[in-house]
Amino acid sequence: MSHGNHQQRLNESLSALMDGEANELEIQRLLKESDAAGSASGGDLNARWSRYQLAASVMRGEKVAPVDVGLAASISAAIADEPPLQSAEPLPANDTHHNASRSRWWRPLSRGAVAATVAFAAVLGVQQIQAPQTQGDLVAETERPQQAPVASMPQPSGFLAPTLNTRAVSTAPQLVPEQRVGPAPQVQMVPTPELMRHLNRVMVEHSEQAARVGSQGMVPHARATYGERPSE
Amino acid sequence: MAGVCTGLWCVADRCITKLSMNMAKFISRNTRKANSSLLAFLLLAAPFTVPGVSAQSTDPDDTEAARREAPSGVSAAPSATGQKPSVPQAVGETAEVTRTLLAKLAQAVSSLEYRGLATFEHVGSMETLEVVHGIRDGEQVERIRYLTGSPREMVTRSGDRQCHREGNPLTRPGLHSAAGLRDVQASYVFLIRGEERIADREAVVVEARPRDLHRFGMVISVDKETGLPLKSMLVAPAGRVLERFQFVELDLTPVTDSELQPRSPSVREEPGAIACTPAESRWRLGWAPEGFKPVAVQALADGQMLVFSDGLSAFTVFVQQLPDMNYKGRAVRGATVAYMDHLDVDGARYTVTVVGEIPDNTAQLVAKAVTEKQ
Repeated sequence: MSHGNHQQRLNESLSALMDGEANELEIQRLLKESDAAGSASGGDLNARWSRYQLAASVMRGEKVAPVDVGLAASISAAIADEPPLQSAEPLPANDTHHNASRSRWWRPLSRGAVAATVAFAAVLGVQQIQAPQTQGDLVAETERPQQAPVASMPQPSGFLAPTLNTRAVSTAPQLVPEQRVGPAPQVQMVPTPELMRHLNRVMVEHSEQAARVGSQGMVPHARATYGERPSE
Repeated sequence: MAGVCTGLWCVADRCITKLSMNMAKFISRNTRKANSSLLAFLLLAAPFTVPGVSAQSTDPDDTEAARREAPSGVSAAPSATGQKPSVPQAVGETAEVTRTLLAKLAQAVSSLEYRGLATFEHVGSMETLEVVHGIRDGEQVERIRYLTGSPREMVTRSGDRQCHREGNPLTRPGLHSAAGLRDVQASYVFLIRGEERIADREAVVVEARPRDLHRFGMVISVDKETGLPLKSMLVAPAGRVLERFQFVELDLTPVTDSELQPRSPSVREEPGAIACTPAESRWRLGWAPEGFKPVAVQALADGQMLVFSDGLSAFTVFVQQLPDMNYKGRAVRGATVAYMDHLDVDGARYTVTVVGEIPDNTAQLVAKAVTEKQ
């Protein structure tokens, strides 16, 4: 039973992550599990992650091609009103009752019903985008702040692009020290010049290396140049 | 748009639009939290809703596994998606289109000469910059100058020439080879997302969607004519855009020498001093996210740096002896995160810094996995 609970917790964490609501602990747990992709549960988690992502796209009303994940394939096939196929999987004899009840259950699920399911999801997606985003109450949020939605995004649709402001922004790295476990208030870190120099240096070096491997064109160079040269 | 719609999908699209309007009122009463659980239910239920379609592989993992074994998707797809021949065919064709496009992109970024004006946004701030890309003696030379904020300018050289001369040309990982393209498809799903016009040029929009939690997605608008990326976005889960680079104006005529000369006194010149024969690493990672392979090891004055890439994104591990550097935690600038930690070996303290455009937690896990080679 503990396995089931574990799986359920993972699923909850995964859906929280999709909503940008996962806490530090949940993310750690997911990453650990996701990493064990060879294991059954890890593989399952990764497959589920792919499905969530695709479904999220569908909900955001994105046009997605190719449709190459099981879920999407099932939806489109169902909409085309394919007659139900015979299960290729031989079923144990004692499972026939279960199977019969299951197919009875699904038979009324015609074109309209499946489309309605999709539409339902689509509305939820829109809602989520419009929901006011909480800012700053999670560690991850403060690090990479959640962006307010922009309605008039050119394509592709479905991404939450930053709203722009014109105020001058410091190009210095923003520090988030490791949090101690416990309720002790987080001490505001005053960065030393050495630390800032180090961070700037490693970010530049990294960008230069990334420029060689990633086929990203100018982007790594733009990153490397972005930071101001720290005063010596 | 007709080009990207595989017939069935357009039908689904229309249904969504029509029905969503009817249901909007009802849904608006739901709380946000309820939305997520409902959503989770829908998603979990989905694999079972149409048992017939996935008859030959009821477990979605099989589909995934089959695809991984044959990333081309052509041979694996028909059995994986059941008896719907039109879908697998579309997948196969699109996979081919995607590969061609990515190969063209890889070629374009390293061989084209151009100059242009671009915008670079993250965390709600936007800056404009001037970029020049030239090829001199088979070596890439870039000049970047920010036109907003404090004056910043940098000239970089790829450093290939020196290595060619030593008869040891750098092997380019990533999208430059068929193997690289296969590898990158094991870490990302590529989707053609449509077309758009950027900097007065027609572009195809490609999305690279990560297959696990250890990397970000990318949306790249590739110039139809040349393959140059005209716009690229780095995307975190749930579609949050972390960073966007976009050309405003692009000129593809040959670049003159004077254009590669720095314009401001504050220029930073990166000599591109890289070792052609990689240094032997003293350190190793006990763990790295799947798909990230070591692509370079460089000696630094005070330590070493190890570069890892999955073909699209990269992170770099720095292990250095830095006196009085006791910071432990992360630093973020734009889409780049740096996670710092310590490592004590034989009484000596080393500072480990993992830098990259990767999720914060992944950077932290990598930093904690650094050990000395035995």
